[in-house]
Amino acid sequence: MQVIENKKIDEKVYIETLENGMKIIIIPKDNTKKKYIIWGTKFGSNDNHFIEPKTGKEIQVPDGVAHYLEHKMFEQESGVDSLYTLMALGLDANAYTTNDHTAYLFACTDNFYEGLDELMDYVQSPYFTDENVNKERGIIEQEIQRYDDEPIWKLYINAMNCLYKNNPITIDVAGTVESISHITKETLYSCYNTFYHPSNMIMCISGDFEPNTIVEEIKKRLKPREKMAEIKRIYPEYEPTINKNYIEKHMNVNMPLFMIGYRDFLQNENQIKKDIAIRIVFNSILGKCSKTYQDLYNSGLLMREMDCDFEFSNQYSHVLISGESRKPEEVYNTIIDKLQNEEISIEDFERSKKRIYGEFVTNYDDVEHVGRMFLADSIRGINSLDYIDEISNMNIEYVNKIRKEMLKKDEAILSIVK
Amino acid sequence: MKIERMKSNKFKTNEIAIFLTMPLKKETITMNALLPAVLRRGTNKYPNQVEIGKQLENMYGAFFNCGIDKTGDNCILKFYIETVCDKFLPIDENLTQKAMDLINEIIFNPLTVDEGFCKEYVEQEKENLKKKIESRKDNKSLYSLNRCIEEMFENEPYGIYKYGNLIDLQEIDEKELFDYYKKMVNESEIYIVINGVDADKVEIPDSLDNHSVVNIKENEPLPKQEERIVNEKADVTQGKLIIGMSTPNDNRFAVSLYNAVLGGGANSKLFQNVREKASLAYSAGSKYIRRKDAIFIVTGIELQNYDKTLKIIKEQIEDIKNGKVTDDEFDKAKQLIISSLNLIKESQEDMIAFNYDQRLYGENLTVDEYIDKLNKVSKEKVIEVGKEISINTIYYLEK
Repeated sequence: MQVIENKKIDEKVYIETLENGMKIIIIPKDNTKKKYIIWGTKFGSNDNHFIEPKTGKEIQVPDGVAHYLEHKMFEQESGVDSLYTLMALGLDANAYTTNDHTAYLFACTDNFYEGLDELMDYVQSPYFTDENVNKERGIIEQEIQRYDDEPIWKLYINAMNCLYKNNPITIDVAGTVESISHITKETLYSCYNTFYHPSNMIMCISGDFEPNTIVEEIKKRLKPREKMAEIKRIYPEYEPTINKNYIEKHMNVNMPLFMIGYRDFLQNENQIKKDIAIRIVFNSILGKCSKTYQDLYNSGLLMREMDCDFEFSNQYSHVLISGESRKPEEVYNTIIDKLQNEEISIEDFERSKKRIYGEFVTNYDDVEHVGRMFLADSIRGINSLDYIDEISNMNIEYVNKIRKEMLKKDEAILSIVK
Repeated sequence: MKIERMKSNKFKTNEIAIFLTMPLKKETITMNALLPAVLRRGTNKYPNQVEIGKQLENMYGAFFNCGIDKTGDNCILKFYIETVCDKFLPIDENLTQKAMDLINEIIFNPLTVDEGFCKEYVEQEKENLKKKIESRKDNKSLYSLNRCIEEMFENEPYGIYKYGNLIDLQEIDEKELFDYYKKMVNESEIYIVINGVDADKVEIPDSLDNHSVVNIKENEPLPKQEERIVNEKADVTQGKLIIGMSTPNDNRFAVSLYNAVLGGGANSKLFQNVREKASLAYSAGSKYIRRKDAIFIVTGIELQNYDKTLKIIKEQIEDIKNGKVTDDEFDKAKQLIISSLNLIKESQEDMIAFNYDQRLYGENLTVDEYIDKLNKVSKEKVIEVGKEISINTIYYLEK
């Protein structure tokens, strides 16, 4: 078993790759009663075009399959929904689908092993019939329509449509009413057999566990599967420019929403370092204590703090800054100007760096946060623990360089929902 | 003044809390509600929120919060600050001491102008508090529960709304508030608790010398009375039926279990019979306010179901009195309380709040001792206390 450690913050992480290729990451916490387990597969809404390892056939699946599959995994031959079984055990159970992964999870204090039995059973026992697949369609259609009416979601998808032309991230994770009409039992089985193979899956566990014992418990519950060759995913060509600068949508919101976006074209830079640099840039120039935020607040253009996200996978990478304002265009003009032209002072840099360091350390107290972070990072090939050292080693020159090279005024996009 | 150091290496952070406790009174509640909001705006050293914010960020993103609460007949102003443990910092620093100094600065060295608070801050926070009081009806569930409490404890301090009232608010100015503040600081009981691995390293500032002691009276149960019915109208789609009951003050562990059997969680009588079997309510449960010896049954129902719901609720209360509690119901209720008590240990804030409550009322139990006491309660005891529990107030918010 591989052990990685950060002595400064007193954290040890155990990683075991099983014979069947499944990766298990254990983050032991011996002083808490809370336990968290999350089991993810590298199959998200972006994985819609691939070569099936078993047949060698190129397959294009309808948009929204990963999410559809997530819904159907809970259905059991016995007729009892697994989500219900987990809840009846007093566990806080859930599942979700993103662009690059699907995950099944629960948190608990008691009944962990009973929960593990059920979780590992249902994720390994697909039961799709024409009837139960059809029955779900209406439920998912409603979910898609609900999202369509959601201003924040529209704001985001529109921003993606500005940043990219053909990238699958521009598609709703759940697909469209039209695309899911083509999903059948056969589609689901084909995707299940390909992507829910142990070699494509990662399990993260946090709580009071002895690493070797829990690995044995997991092995006991794994069903045998034939070895599988690597899945070849086919992605659209890299887009070297943004698609368009501006988009707006009228939805009758009380206060207009805005999202400013920048593509990250710095492909050769380390993602963790870029991520930290962007957090420092945002906190220094636009955070609660910054002069720009205070000015915007005092002039009534912002009512509360903005949010900043650096989202990335191996197919996309971008920065998003969002908020609410009665005059979003004015806020946009101020922000893109400040981000391009304001050198970060050493005082702001040091302060922001300390704040971010503190947040990362504090997060290690929460088993759910830790489990989720290690899964999401590991899907993208990142070791979460590296953040701590990279924050400590960050320097102001690098932060200003990333700011200048990534946050270029004429490459910014603006999405507005009015 | 009481100081408590709770040494623990469970968390990545230390937490300091300072509580100022005083009797709950109608004349002072509005000023008390306003004070934390004004104090957090600026100090003599950090005159505005940006300066306080920068100091918090410089302290590795320390987290500060404050607010007001009521416990029994006491009003408590609560201040918290949480910081990363010194040993996890990249460089040597006594961060916990800095946290102590900052929280002390915010509470005891506020920004003053001509023997008063800063006028601008007071006016802005009066406006914010006004909005808060005016919008209390927005959250219908919370509003209904609070209204039922107010009705049931009409003639007692506990019936006071903790954010005060608009008439008193209008009258407050920066000078009067500051005069009150000085008096309040002298007369309230100050409790300081430092939780975490660095608990021993913190020195308490000299300025924090205060000798006031709040005298806690043992809670007198409400006099027995006929059921009182209070109806209120509002623009609601869902009716809120809240039932206040008075409970005995001599066997609180049994009452706690009684409450769990009646309305704690998905296995409780209320949830099973009102929500699941009869499908009368969207939500059905109950809440035990130990320090006032009261249980509140809380339901959200369809408007036409008032009579039916009330009837089934009363049947549940009668059933317990008549001993109709299965071993399974009793065991699950016990399990539920014990696992929620165990969760207290997982949060510094909850630990601090639990210990403070224990000290304030002189019970001085640890969570484990508390669980032990609960564990010893028998089903028969629960049925016995059930016979002493009676409905006091029925509150209904309808269209």
